[in-house]
Amino acid sequence: MRRAMRVLYAPAHARMTMTDDLPPNPALLPAGMRDLLPPDAETEAAAVGALMEVFGAHGYQRVKPPLLEFEDSLLSGSGAAVGDQTFRMMDPDTRRMMGLRADMTPQIARIASTRLGHTPRPLRLSYNGQCLRIHGSQIAPERQVAQAGIELIGHDSPVADAEIVLVGAEALYAAGLARVSFDLTMPPLVPTLLDEAGFTGEARARLGRALDRKDAAAVTERGGALAGVLTDLLLAAGPAERALAALRQAALPPGARAHAERLADAVSAIHARAPGLTLTVDPVEFRGFRYHTGVSMTVYAPGRHEELGRGGRYICGEAEPATGLTLYPDAILRAAPARAVRARLFLPLGHDTALAKALRVQGFATVAALDAAADPLAEACRQGCTHLLQDGIAVLIVKETP
Amino acid sequence: MTAEFRAAALAPELETKLIMAVPKGRILAECAPLMARAGIRPSEGWNDEDSRHLRFATDDPKLDLVRVRSFDVATFVAFGAAQIGICGADVLQEFDYPEIYAPLDLGIGACRISVAEPRATAGQGDSREWSHIRVATKYPNIARRHYAARGIQAEIVHLNGAMELAPGLGLSRLIVDLVATGSTLKANGLVETEVIAKVTSRLIVNRTALKTRPEEVGALIARFRAALSA
Repeated sequence: MRRAMRVLYAPAHARMTMTDDLPPNPALLPAGMRDLLPPDAETEAAAVGALMEVFGAHGYQRVKPPLLEFEDSLLSGSGAAVGDQTFRMMDPDTRRMMGLRADMTPQIARIASTRLGHTPRPLRLSYNGQCLRIHGSQIAPERQVAQAGIELIGHDSPVADAEIVLVGAEALYAAGLARVSFDLTMPPLVPTLLDEAGFTGEARARLGRALDRKDAAAVTERGGALAGVLTDLLLAAGPAERALAALRQAALPPGARAHAERLADAVSAIHARAPGLTLTVDPVEFRGFRYHTGVSMTVYAPGRHEELGRGGRYICGEAEPATGLTLYPDAILRAAPARAVRARLFLPLGHDTALAKALRVQGFATVAALDAAADPLAEACRQGCTHLLQDGIAVLIVKETP
Repeated sequence: MTAEFRAAALAPELETKLIMAVPKGRILAECAPLMARAGIRPSEGWNDEDSRHLRFATDDPKLDLVRVRSFDVATFVAFGAAQIGICGADVLQEFDYPEIYAPLDLGIGACRISVAEPRATAGQGDSREWSHIRVATKYPNIARRHYAARGIQAEIVHLNGAMELAPGLGLSRLIVDLVATGSTLKANGLVETEVIAKVTSRLIVNRTALKTRPEEVGALIARFRAALSA
């Protein structure tokens, strides 16, 4: 039956005559999609390798979920937050809807609560893979985004929060980013505060929006009895010490106070283990942390306008506490200093293959001639090589400056 | 993968300047006393609207100013090209960039975003029965949201100026525009029928800059706050 499925395409010129449109340029990709070329593709693979190595070294075992899953499992629980960003298609086999993952954390949560539900806790898992989302934003237009991350499932404590941050920082260091900062937040703090103050319906939505945009004028206007506290907290965002001091002084009802204390405990736990790590705290931030239920974090690099990663506490499966951090290799690559590209050695025709093998072991990438070149040096240059094998020695090619 | 960011990534943090974006035109003059009170002294030519320079140093070696169109202030700050800016609430509402925080209301440039209609037809017809309305505006998102909230599709005619002409020439039934005194509306036979939002200028900051350079950005915000209460 498969043969009957063959589709015939009219040649491009025949299709062309139907309209006056110019033929599309074959290099054009759908919005938000990219080709990675040499040497970036290799650098990316090396960066992801470095991240995964650190995750593995800290006991995070690797899992590999599929690209497609049934929609109802992919978008249940913590996955619901990315429902509107998920491409869907019908499984012709079962006629059920499938979703293409827009985020891997819900997949890991599914694995942890089903196939690995019986394994001892805490469970430490790591993963990396590509995700697709329906829309990019104007600021971050990519629609295919790589993720590499860790999840720590079955433990609710400041120590677990700290471990996620520290392993993340070490992985970023391994990928070449020595100076990163973690912005810590407590997404449920503001909703709890609004609940305890009795905000509901439209008033709550409008105040939430003003807080999300840190629009001080709107918070003052819509905040009612909370206007003072909220404005203070709004302006407290910044270095961890200062923000926590403001949070301590703020008049908070018991529920919000408990969240504030847990945030402070997590900061102390991180600080005790990594005094040099730059930490900022933003008490009122809750945007984009829709499935997060506790201490959450965003990773930044100085001078960069994009997030390098994001994570936080969530509920895995029915009621299991979990936390995790997802790093974005694309953003990390843009922020990391360029890595030294591997030296490329041109091997003229008839070279010593055993020697070539030994040089590859030393770290050279070898480029073997496929035919006899009149001038091996010129050929080596044309092929972008840095070295030429001459008389059994890898000779560095020095280009004369004109 | 683009390579052009790499050099910036390697630049020592302490040597990168803060950039503040300030709108040209009406607001610029109103900003001047406030900026002076906040201790920002721009270099020569800043107040000369005819100057071809777009970027100006200040007496603070770590702060430069750029002068851009008011709609572009939000874009410069949202993308992080400028870390801080002064921007009308109308522009913020129109673009609604999640990357922008507005920590201070500067109380200058007061005006409003309003609906205006030809005097002859204003108030005719029951808007509750409309399923759609054609609107000429330079604020397509604000207009669309305003009408969508009442269950009306706004068909937008996006203009960059001279909105007041649109109803008279049959482009649209009404307009959504910035109104300061109302004299332009009056001169063109329009009346203001509804205020969508009151507008003042805000001090805005880039969200990432606030997280990665909290001390510097925080200090600038504090200077403006002090200038406001002075």
